[in-house]
Amino acid sequence: MTAPVLLTDALQELRDAVAAAPLGLATPGRDATERTARAVVDQVDDYLLPRLRDLDAPLLAVVGGSTGAGKSTLVNSVLGARVTTPGVLRPTTRAPVLVCSPADLPAFSGDRVLPGMPRTTGEGDRARDLAGGLRLVPTEALAPGLALIDAPDVDSVVEANRDLAGQLLSAADLWIFVTTAARYADAVPWDLLRTAQERGTALAVVLDRTPPEAVTEVAADLAAMLQRGGLGAARLFVVEERPLHDGFLPGAQVAQLRDWLRGLAADQEQRAAVVRQTLAGALESLDGRVAAVAAGVEEQAATAAALGNAADAAYDGARQAVNEGVGNGSLLRGEVMARWQDFVGTGEWMRSLQSRVGRLRDRLGAALNGRPSSADSLHGALESGVETLLRSEGERAADRTVTAWRSLPGGGALVAGREEELGTVSPDFAPVAADEVRDWQGYVLELVREEGAGKRSQARLLSWGVNGAGALVMVAVFASTAGLSGAELAIAGGTTAVGQRVLEAVFGDAAVRALAARARADLDARADRLLAAEQDRFDELLAGVAEAPDAVERLRAAVATLAAARRSA
Amino acid sequence: MRARELSLADRLAALREAVGVAEGRLEVPEVGAARSLLAKAGAREALGDATVVALAGATGSGKSTLFNALSGAEVSTPGVRRPTTGVAHATIWGENGADRLLDWLEVPRRHRVADGDPALDGLVLLDLPDHDSVRLENRLEVDRLVQLVDVLVWVLDPQKYADHAVHSRYLAPLAGHSGVLLVVLNQVDRLDEAAAVACLADLRRLLDEEGLTGTPVLPTSARTGFGLPELRTELARRVGARKAATDRLTADARAAAGALAAHCATDAGRDRGPDRAAREHLAGALADAAGVPAVVAAVQRSARRNGTAHTGWPVLRWTSKLRADPLDRLHLGDERSRTSLPQAGAVQRAGMDAALRRARDDAGRGLPPAWRDELRRTSEDTEERLPDQLDRAVAGTDLGPDRTPIWQRTVGGLQWLLALTALVGALWLLALVGLGLLQLDDVVPLPRVQGIPLPTLLLVGGLLAGLLLALLCRPLVAAGARRRARTARRRLTARVAEVADEEVLAPLSEARADHDRYCAAVGRARS
Repeated sequence: MTAPVLLTDALQELRDAVAAAPLGLATPGRDATERTARAVVDQVDDYLLPRLRDLDAPLLAVVGGSTGAGKSTLVNSVLGARVTTPGVLRPTTRAPVLVCSPADLPAFSGDRVLPGMPRTTGEGDRARDLAGGLRLVPTEALAPGLALIDAPDVDSVVEANRDLAGQLLSAADLWIFVTTAARYADAVPWDLLRTAQERGTALAVVLDRTPPEAVTEVAADLAAMLQRGGLGAARLFVVEERPLHDGFLPGAQVAQLRDWLRGLAADQEQRAAVVRQTLAGALESLDGRVAAVAAGVEEQAATAAALGNAADAAYDGARQAVNEGVGNGSLLRGEVMARWQDFVGTGEWMRSLQSRVGRLRDRLGAALNGRPSSADSLHGALESGVETLLRSEGERAADRTVTAWRSLPGGGALVAGREEELGTVSPDFAPVAADEVRDWQGYVLELVREEGAGKRSQARLLSWGVNGAGALVMVAVFASTAGLSGAELAIAGGTTAVGQRVLEAVFGDAAVRALAARARADLDARADRLLAAEQDRFDELLAGVAEAPDAVERLRAAVATLAAARRSA
Repeated sequence: MRARELSLADRLAALREAVGVAEGRLEVPEVGAARSLLAKAGAREALGDATVVALAGATGSGKSTLFNALSGAEVSTPGVRRPTTGVAHATIWGENGADRLLDWLEVPRRHRVADGDPALDGLVLLDLPDHDSVRLENRLEVDRLVQLVDVLVWVLDPQKYADHAVHSRYLAPLAGHSGVLLVVLNQVDRLDEAAAVACLADLRRLLDEEGLTGTPVLPTSARTGFGLPELRTELARRVGARKAATDRLTADARAAAGALAAHCATDAGRDRGPDRAAREHLAGALADAAGVPAVVAAVQRSARRNGTAHTGWPVLRWTSKLRADPLDRLHLGDERSRTSLPQAGAVQRAGMDAALRRARDDAGRGLPPAWRDELRRTSEDTEERLPDQLDRAVAGTDLGPDRTPIWQRTVGGLQWLLALTALVGALWLLALVGLGLLQLDDVVPLPRVQGIPLPTLLLVGGLLAGLLLALLCRPLVAAGARRRARTARRRLTARVAEVADEEVLAPLSEARADHDRYCAAVGRARS
């Protein structure tokens, strides 16, 4: 028989897929999805896998209910032995107790069920009871084939208790749900009962601590409520509130429940039917629950995409702004214009054209001595201009991204506490940007040198020095694409046109255009790289919480495999 | 104990001030909560000093039985079915009509105890629905009334005293209200004495852990009547004090102020304003973006052009008129109309943005996020308005006297004189040419100076002297132009700095001052 093996494999895969589902973003549905995912994983680990591997293992009945419902007293009374300690202080049962027949002890002492909980045995182990373990109590009072767990309360102030109760209940073949006349309409236990109904878990309800005078009325009311809740199939036992004899309820009160449990333990058929019901219900419920997890994962993916888009939009805006700033010649205006005027207005320009030889000597001398010439200061202006632009746009994009993320679901938690740091450029941005701009200038100078080499006009090029020509190309970069308007040209002293005309004389029209285009492309590429590195800070944050892009597909595939395995089983 | 406790009116006034400041500045839910508290306080204060005590608790804890025992009549029907009470009931002690109060509370079912214990006169006792049953509407009703009543009596029972639902939803959030809270452990008759003591101790521990150390815990049994006299005494004490409503509102105001205080940085320090360097940096960046360098350059060129026009050689002087005055073309001088300055370039805009951001960050240093958001919004508003304001500022700046200096006029007159001299010489020579044609050149004697004929001297000397004067004046004109440019730059920069102060720094420090005012008000409301 291969089918069950296949089924367990499919379950294992589903469990792994659910456990690996990325839920790092604090979306509105994250907590609910996480709870669902954890419940699915727990149920597969604690119940489905062990039960599928051994269908004939003893039945596990979990006694659960509200704090103060008298679970422990009920368990003790049913068994007729003191296996667990009731008390008036809430919550009482802090560590769950598993009671079984000595014959069944091996079935529960291993890792088969509830593998995450260490076992303790015997009395006087109170200290270890508190450490999240499961206390095993073998007793002859219980027939082989059935084990009882006295679970902690589902609604106490101790959160660990509530979680543990949920875990135990999901590991049960049978729920024995204990409530009281005072509590049967409480909201919290009813949430759990609804869960049981959704999961198709076999259920018995015990109405405990019922004042004798109210038995009929309360029992009828509860039965009606169960009927309305779709739990009409659950067995209902009523236990009256009577004085305890030596800590036990009067035998008559629990006889009905005790007999039912004994019958269940003795009857192989009936036991198998209970197992089948719970198993089928649990497998059935997985579809919907995994779909909920998948929806949660999709929500995560959509949120991550929205956050990514916000960062993209901000940085695309920055890239575009840098591109425009470089491309439309506006870099030339302002400070660069003024420096350019200095460069031209000193008369060096015209004189260098007119008396080439004399100026050649001077300027070459200046270059050799390292004295800054006007061409150098033009470099400086362009450099700081591009840097200012890059830095400002980088800051603006970071600021915008942080603002957008804080208003988007899941984004606030990602940047929380780091707004100051993320809201501006990274600390090493300025030096890196300066390096890039200097490298770009080197590249432009290299371009000019290559183009100029071997040309007839090399001598003329040399007359300003390669530096000067490089500056001119850089100016041409900004001017060639946009065509400055007449007014601006006038402000610039009409110098750009002159500069371009002279350069055209040096390199020829086509060469200047090609140079300008290449220089600009190089600058754009550098700017893109810088901004991409900035954006990476945000992308990394996202990647840290929203990895596994195929998580949804994996979940869906696992569900499909499970369905196929169930059909063939 | 503080020397003098702040009165409720003062506390609410402080809270109102904080809300007023926060309105339109902070986008946080706490402000809305505080505003509704103020509304509630206003309504409650107007409704007299009756003491509204509510019995709240879980289903089956015996609220109704306790309520009936206190009322001395079967007002609320207890039942074995769960959940029982669906709507709130009220019992009123004393004659003074609490009807308006109950209307405000929206409690329709009322019972009047006419000849009850006079110590309880002025008590309005409410029996609330349960808060933990499957009926959601009950829970909503409880949530509503819990906000409104003056004293809350939480009725717990040995079965349910440690329920998560009551502790997390109600008791823990009321930690600041321990004075208006009373916890009753009902149904103690179900426990033996030792168990009851242990149970009470455990409940006490739970409450202490939640910060409700000041809340008394009373064991009662509505069925046997155990503990009821003590409960009645406790209620009578609170009714007699006639300040339960005030206490409740005080606790509420404190809690609301405590929530508002989350948006308060006590250690942010005083706003010292931006330092000199930051201010200059901002003004410089704004000046660049406003096109000040372009204006200054235009002023210089215009001054040079005018100077040249006045002192230049009259023969060629007219040529400069062919070019337009660079300053005129910028269309300055009228604050109401847009200048023709080119729009700020990407670099200037980038520089301005960076400077604005820096100013914003400086102003926001140490402030909580909500206030930094507000500074960002302020700064964004500024950024939108700024280009226009800067343009107005530049257009409206007096760039300095546009008078032609006297020396330039003098030189201009001299130039005309020299030109006239040259003209006289030229005419004279022309006359000589005419006389020569008529063979009369020897008739008129030709004066000579140093052997050079006077007309020639006049013509050549006039022309040369004019040219020389024009050349000599050039550097002087340039120096004057530079001086004018400097004046213009100084005035423009000063004007732009004014704009920076008014439009950028003032709104920021105003927001900062509002934060300080807000914090002071919140601090007072909280004290």
